[in-house]
Amino acid sequence: MYRYVAVFRAIALILAMFSGTMLVPVGFSFFLQDGAQSAFDEALLITLGAAGICWFLARGKARELQIKDGFLLVVLAWTGVPAFAAIPLMIFFWPDMSFTDAYFETVSGMTTTGATVISGLDQLPFSINLWRGELVWLGGMGLIVLAVAILPLLGVGGRQMFKAESPGPMKESKLTPRMAETAKGLWAVYGIISLSCFLACWAAGMTWQDALIHLGPIMGLGGFSSHDSSFGYFDSVPIEIVTTVFMYLAGMNFATHFLALHGKSLSPYRADPEVGWYLGVLIASVLVIALYIWNAGTYDNFWTALRFSSFNVVSIATTTGFASTDYALWPIFAPLWMIFLSSFATCAGSTGGGIKMIRAIILYKQTFREILRSMHPNVVRPIKVGGEDVPNNIVFAVLAFGFMYMAIIVSLTLALAFSGLDIVTAFSAIVATLNNMGPGLNLVGPSTTYAVLTDFQTWVCTIAMLLGRLEIFTLLVVLSPAFWRK
Amino acid sequence: MNRLAPVLHVFSLIMLLFSLTMLVPLALSWGLRDGAEEAYDEAFLLALGSGALLWLLTSRVKRELQAWDGFLLVALVWLVLPAMGAVPLYVFLPQVSWTDAYFEAVSGLTATGATVLSGLDTLPASINFWRHQLHWMGGLGVIVLAVAILPLLGIGGRQLFKAETPGPMKDSKLTPRIAETAKGLWFVYASLTFACLLAYHFAGMSWLDAIMHAFSTLALGGFSSVDASLGHFDSLAIELIAIFFALLAGMNFATHFLAWRQKSLRAYLFDGELPYYLLVLGASSLLIAWYIWLKGVYPDFFEALRHSAFHTVSVATSLGMVTQDYAQWPYFVPFWMLFLGSFAVCSGSTGGGIKMMRAIILYKQVFREFVRSIHPNAVYPVKLGRETLSTQILFAVLAFAFLYMVSIVSLTLILSATELDIITAFSAVVACLNNTGPGLGAVGPASNFGVLTDLQTWFCSFTMLLGRLEIFTLLVVMNFTFWKN
Repeated sequence: MYRYVAVFRAIALILAMFSGTMLVPVGFSFFLQDGAQSAFDEALLITLGAAGICWFLARGKARELQIKDGFLLVVLAWTGVPAFAAIPLMIFFWPDMSFTDAYFETVSGMTTTGATVISGLDQLPFSINLWRGELVWLGGMGLIVLAVAILPLLGVGGRQMFKAESPGPMKESKLTPRMAETAKGLWAVYGIISLSCFLACWAAGMTWQDALIHLGPIMGLGGFSSHDSSFGYFDSVPIEIVTTVFMYLAGMNFATHFLALHGKSLSPYRADPEVGWYLGVLIASVLVIALYIWNAGTYDNFWTALRFSSFNVVSIATTTGFASTDYALWPIFAPLWMIFLSSFATCAGSTGGGIKMIRAIILYKQTFREILRSMHPNVVRPIKVGGEDVPNNIVFAVLAFGFMYMAIIVSLTLALAFSGLDIVTAFSAIVATLNNMGPGLNLVGPSTTYAVLTDFQTWVCTIAMLLGRLEIFTLLVVLSPAFWRK
Repeated sequence: MNRLAPVLHVFSLIMLLFSLTMLVPLALSWGLRDGAEEAYDEAFLLALGSGALLWLLTSRVKRELQAWDGFLLVALVWLVLPAMGAVPLYVFLPQVSWTDAYFEAVSGLTATGATVLSGLDTLPASINFWRHQLHWMGGLGVIVLAVAILPLLGIGGRQLFKAETPGPMKDSKLTPRIAETAKGLWFVYASLTFACLLAYHFAGMSWLDAIMHAFSTLALGGFSSVDASLGHFDSLAIELIAIFFALLAGMNFATHFLAWRQKSLRAYLFDGELPYYLLVLGASSLLIAWYIWLKGVYPDFFEALRHSAFHTVSVATSLGMVTQDYAQWPYFVPFWMLFLGSFAVCSGSTGGGIKMMRAIILYKQVFREFVRSIHPNAVYPVKLGRETLSTQILFAVLAFAFLYMVSIVSLTLILSATELDIITAFSAVVACLNNTGPGLGAVGPASNFGVLTDLQTWFCSFTMLLGRLEIFTLLVVMNFTFWKN
């Protein structure tokens, strides 16, 4: 038990802090009298109580967090917190919402996926929608810290690559001091960009309520909306442009934003090896798909095609998941291409999902190297990213990650097919949840919700979201017997 | 030109040999008077003429073949021979376009078994024979390619098997080693085919059908001389024979060769892939039988088991013969079978996909990364049997697997851009890349690839070649640095 004291204490702190964030919907609910206040009151008390129990159990001497504790802490935080976040939803919808669905909804929020099981969003009280949006915002914040400060230390899937880049002292075995240092700077950046996002959305024509609710999903690349028709509800070009710009920003590495704001210069963006590819791939895809759907006659006017293409392609590729139209009705190549983009387009250290652009670049370079090597077997050619050599063990980690990612897609798709779902729904649901993107195709397409799934299928999707968010290895390592061996 | 001449010289010899093989259906056609003689006359003369011309043009240049020439030769053989093989079909069947004829011949030589022809039952015997003969020659070519050539070229970690195959090791000279290995393999292959042919005949097929289906089975191709494939015979004995020989053809022919030379079964015990191969296929057959029985497709469990075992082995070993329209079974089943087709067979067999050996290596490498993320400083070599795999081989295998998946994704996207539905596009790509044959949807077991447009057919032809040449070979030759000095 002594081994886990430090982890439990950290969990207790996280829960206590998390219960504090429930004060936001409590406050709004109280002032607007929207009828959901008691749900949040009770949830707040339960969460706080649980935090107290954890704290009490973990009293006594704690040691510094080690690497193994790091894995455990991350997994406990991302599986435990959504359970508490689900309480207000269960209480409010009582007894119409099962725990399975409520947990799916909050995991979807905190992993910034944006897949929902709730329909009739427009009729929900403001505070419930705000809570969903807030979860995405908090998830996005947790994620940046996870991606930039924690996972590199744990060395998950080649993340150690970024160690050198983030500021602060290097102490391999002790997690806390470095994390705190890095996290502070990143949160400031996240806060500043979020505030400008809120103001810009408001200025572009959203009501302040909508701007507040959508703030989280935009910055966290989550995709929850307070309207069943998502961004189709606004049908406004300025709002789509503002949202697109902030989705682009949130899909970049927040460490780069931090450096740029800190140094008041744009040169960090140029030095970032991912940004060029990220923007290039996204912009090229927007144009290709606009041309394709215009050519296929979906829209008569090229500019209309471009408008819908630029919003929806960026939304799906950055793993946000907003839709301004039912793109599943476009010729099938377009949605498939968008889903494909979501699996790699965003940068590491962003709030987006998928394998991340940096890994895609390493995978590409390694494969290309092997093609060259089969022509010239004795050539020594190091892989370079951003001017630096990538050591072999990182390349191996990235390859293993890429392979696990595909193996997970195949096996979970087969699991859903086994439970009787048709293959397009099964495949797209898994890709959409594993990439933390949100809407799939067919039964779980942009114009429907995940409510059609059975409990078993919902749990499979929940696991896919967590796997995707914790970069597969973190979760699987904790589940492996080797982890628990002394 | 001087650089290409030695390759073209060897190639011209292969072409001359290939033209001679057309004499078999020609003789058959003449003997049976089935009216297709003329087709072979022209094709034979064309192949013989162009082979002889090329031979004369390049006969003055003499040089040992190097690795670079190896790539080019392999690509040339597998791209051009199908064109020659397609001529009889194109000449004889007026309704078949050049695209379709080439597809059919590629499907034959890569031992895929996807067809664009329907009304097979009404075709002249010699035409059907020619299709199956392409399979058989392709299968032999595949074994030689996999056991003797690719390891020397170091494709996708194939150098792993260098040590295992017999013969002297001369990395820079290709010809002697390949000739040595090929001789032994071809003998084993021919004997197994002969055994299969006898078994089929005594189980009730006519001699001609037995020969053709034996060709198809041993090459793990999947062509049949009847539209209903093996379902036409509706015989349990024939299905069991097909399962047995398909399982043998899915094993490493180098192992068969060793077993034959040592006159003992011990060689099979030492084959590291074999237990996984048999286990995966056996377990899947049972699982699928249970699943379709549970879902009520067949009320009787043993009937479910019969069909499940046959189709699982057929699709997973990339044979592709069918007796039932398994695309009508619950979704999970055909996808599981396609999935198996992508890795189940052993290396050095006539099957397709990434091969069991690579799947094992991938699994071990991923597991190592797990251990490494808990113990970052642990040194943990990846081992196969008692041998530690070098970093270079690991990289090659990982890159191969990655390219394999990238090929599936990108070719599926390309096919879907030509307005094919997802399931058809995806399954067509997987079925062609794994050299299995039947896909799902519009190209399912009850239908054929004739429904595709010309563009789609060309993509599928390309995909079959890509899969057969283990992706790298084609990509290397298509790479512009390959052509720089």
